[in-house]
Amino acid sequence: MKTYSISKLARAFGLSRSTLLYYDRLGLLPPSGRTGSGYRCYTDKDHRRLERICHFREAGLTLKEIRGVLASGGKPGAKLVEQRLRETAASILNLRNQQRLLAAMLSRIASGNPPPVVDVKLWVEMLEAAGMDQNARKRWHTEFERRAPAGHDEFLVALGIPKAEVARIRRWSRVKGSAG
Amino acid sequence: MNKHVSVNEWVAMFEEVGWDEAKRGQWHKLFEERHPEGHQGFLEWLRLPPKEIDRIRAECK
Repeated sequence: MKTYSISKLARAFGLSRSTLLYYDRLGLLPPSGRTGSGYRCYTDKDHRRLERICHFREAGLTLKEIRGVLASGGKPGAKLVEQRLRETAASILNLRNQQRLLAAMLSRIASGNPPPVVDVKLWVEMLEAAGMDQNARKRWHTEFERRAPAGHDEFLVALGIPKAEVARIRRWSRVKGSAG
Repeated sequence: MNKHVSVNEWVAMFEEVGWDEAKRGQWHKLFEERHPEGHQGFLEWLRLPPKEIDRIRAECK
């Protein structure tokens, strides 16, 4: 029967020795035997088990989940797979968002416009957290537009709001202007 | 018209929507807690002198 030392098995999968020690500690991949001098000795069966572990890892299952799957027949349940699918969808959304922010950063760099002083999302979040609702924000825009139209424009631009949107905000700030 | 909005003007706009000094203080504190860099950026945008910015931020802690 073919056997593997811990280093040999680790190398075969591009893993480190300490990873296999860890898998052993978790009870995920205990070696089938020990040599006379007490070294871990892995068999073909262990090799196949590690193959499956790596496969599930690649699919994003946690070690704990993999342990559960291997302990109960070796086939992951639909529920677990669905959950992982949902998680990957969330990660993709997250990455898309990063992509969007990076692209916006790059276009600002390329156009020579300075980055926003405060991101508009963050700004609104802070106003809301402190209890300023949408109506009060509208009144505030109206007031800003009335007192300092150029300053209003400059501030909206500084929040990183696109020009067309800035124009739209300023338009309704004027239409509904009644605060003064 | 001068583009730059003075701090007084800024304060007046917040008072107009019912934000008194205590409320504004609370907002600064929140801003400092959650987004210290954004807070700094905003105060710089207002063109406050660095010493004044430091003072405001220190009061939030």
